[in-house]
Amino acid sequence: MEFLSFILGSLVFPGLLFASLIGLLYIGIDRKVAGHMQNRIGPPIWQEFLDVGKLLSKEDITPGAAQSPIFTAAPLVALGAAVTVMLLIPVSSAQPTLTMVADLIVIIYLLNIPAICMMLGGYSSGSPFGATGAGRYVVQLFGYEFVFILAILAAVVRVGSLGLPTIVGYQAQQGWLVLDWRLLPAVIAALVAIQGKLLRVPFDIPEAESEIVHGPLTEYSGPKLAIWRLAYDVETIVVAGLFAALFLGGPTAYVIGGIQIPSIVDFLIKTLAIVLLTTTLRNIMARLRIDQALKFYWTSATLLAIISLVLVLVVP
Amino acid sequence: MTFVVPVGPQHPALKEPEFFKFEVKGEEIVDVDIRFGYAHKGIEEALQRRDYKHDVYLVERICGICNVVHTTTYCQAVEKLAGVEPPERAKYIRVIILELERIHSHLLWFGIAAHQIGFNTLFMLAWRDRERVMDLRELISGNRVTSATNTIGGVRRDVKPEQVSTILRGLDELERSAEYYIDLFSSDRTILARCTDVGVLTKDDARKFCAVGPLARASGVDTDVRSDHPYAVYDKLSFKVITEREGDVWAKSIVRLREILESIRIVRQAIKEMPIGPIRTKVNIEIPRNETIERAEAPRGELFYYALSNGTERPERVRVRTPTYANFASIKRMFVGGTVAEIPIVMWSIDPCFTCNDRVSLVDSRTGKTFTLSLEELRKWRL
Repeated sequence: MEFLSFILGSLVFPGLLFASLIGLLYIGIDRKVAGHMQNRIGPPIWQEFLDVGKLLSKEDITPGAAQSPIFTAAPLVALGAAVTVMLLIPVSSAQPTLTMVADLIVIIYLLNIPAICMMLGGYSSGSPFGATGAGRYVVQLFGYEFVFILAILAAVVRVGSLGLPTIVGYQAQQGWLVLDWRLLPAVIAALVAIQGKLLRVPFDIPEAESEIVHGPLTEYSGPKLAIWRLAYDVETIVVAGLFAALFLGGPTAYVIGGIQIPSIVDFLIKTLAIVLLTTTLRNIMARLRIDQALKFYWTSATLLAIISLVLVLVVP
Repeated sequence: MTFVVPVGPQHPALKEPEFFKFEVKGEEIVDVDIRFGYAHKGIEEALQRRDYKHDVYLVERICGICNVVHTTTYCQAVEKLAGVEPPERAKYIRVIILELERIHSHLLWFGIAAHQIGFNTLFMLAWRDRERVMDLRELISGNRVTSATNTIGGVRRDVKPEQVSTILRGLDELERSAEYYIDLFSSDRTILARCTDVGVLTKDDARKFCAVGPLARASGVDTDVRSDHPYAVYDKLSFKVITEREGDVWAKSIVRLREILESIRIVRQAIKEMPIGPIRTKVNIEIPRNETIERAEAPRGELFYYALSNGTERPERVRVRTPTYANFASIKRMFVGGTVAEIPIVMWSIDPCFTCNDRVSLVDSRTGKTFTLSLEELRKWRL
């Protein structure tokens, strides 16, 4: 019975199927909203489904220089890691699907796997654009990851637990952590780190299209590219879900006017709000250079996170 | 260890096919090698095979963006050969269309420059405002892009009095948006981070490599054919030659944006001072043997035409030197020492137009001798 629910959890809800559907839909909304912000009509919000579906139906071509198990496995491992995190964050209640299995440290590890897979895919693609993009991604990872961990650490110290259910439970009683003035710098730092994690302007440096075509993904096409897109879309929703659980109180149920609103709706609203915030940020800025991005992460963003950490430790 | 980053013939940073071989060390550019000829059209030869009137349509298609300046320079050259002077009103209409074209070209450049630094919102907004100029061009000439306004001896369509208020209203809107973009480019921190101290061309280098147009003006070289060697009615209109000192990508952008404002001033003056009269004189196109050169300031810099007539309806030789050709000499100086991330924006900062620029000359690499091939030989070699 437990095994069956694990299979159901990883493949249907909140695993592969649910995460893919919501991920594709949210990126579709993101593209539509970006279109309107740029004075365009934009694609329909189900465009991402059409794109991924079309890519999946195409012939699977691997360039001669790229034929290696790493190149083929990279998108699958990335998608697997992203879906696994979906099981570890609270989606339909304060408890994640897999309870008492893993804490925040595991989640941070797992969230790095898509990035590492992308680097490996880029390096093994045998293209100078892939190698340059992967090299840039390594540098960028060292920028945003430190900030991201510090910002999470501030929230962890405030609550005093590494478990996400405890953090969500704490917020249900004490109010959202984003409303705590001591954690406000950490929230901003985490948002900046998310922008880099999701490769959005101004931190879309590893796959800057006008400079290095598509970075590590340049040589990918057909079904492999579709799986990359899927992995990226699931990663987006996962990162937004983690942020919601950490700082926005996680999924909670409401009663509005006598109608019970399930907490899954709350999860969807909060994650969509975060995705739209990153959409806004990516539409009002130019892309930075990799050295400028690293400098920004290691000075301003790190400083914000550290201020928060110190405040949490010092001010009771 | 260095490795090669190929940019082109197909690459998202290039709008036309050319090949740039960048040797990079990590992110730093050590050397660049350029190979041209992917978009050669053989227009100079084709010009010799048609008569003067058909050639107007052909030179209009040398460059899609700056087509009016090509026809204007060509028509002025042929008018000089034939010894006729177009009517005053035609010259004013030419200036109006030329300046509207400069606005359109600079806005197009500006939009793609924003795209090259990853600012797609600004790209779309700049092209939205470019639509206003296109509408004005359509109002005056009947066409949005290739205006087909110029003809030998004048222009084909008049600016009607009832159009004037629409044009002035459109210019006001353009002025507002250009001012907004100047403000944005001087204040937005991500734009400044990407554009300042990037792709610098010093004043000495600009002089040494004979840079033309906005590229030279952004390095502080005060050169503009419109004021140095006035053609049409530019000597009767007052305008400033915009220069900046820095020579980086930011200066090149600001020069172009401020030139939009100057162009708007010129169009306003031209509309106000335009005399009433005919717009076209008759020209006999059997022109006796004569030769001439003609220069004009295209949006990208100095455009140069040489024309040789031989007493028939067809020119003996028409030689075109486009501004991109003159500016390619400075490109290496701007790249070396920079990073891979700067390639698109620095390349775009000279506003390259590769198709205008491609010429063929046959050189024996062992002896260094140039030679010509007959059409049959070319066909045999599939060139």
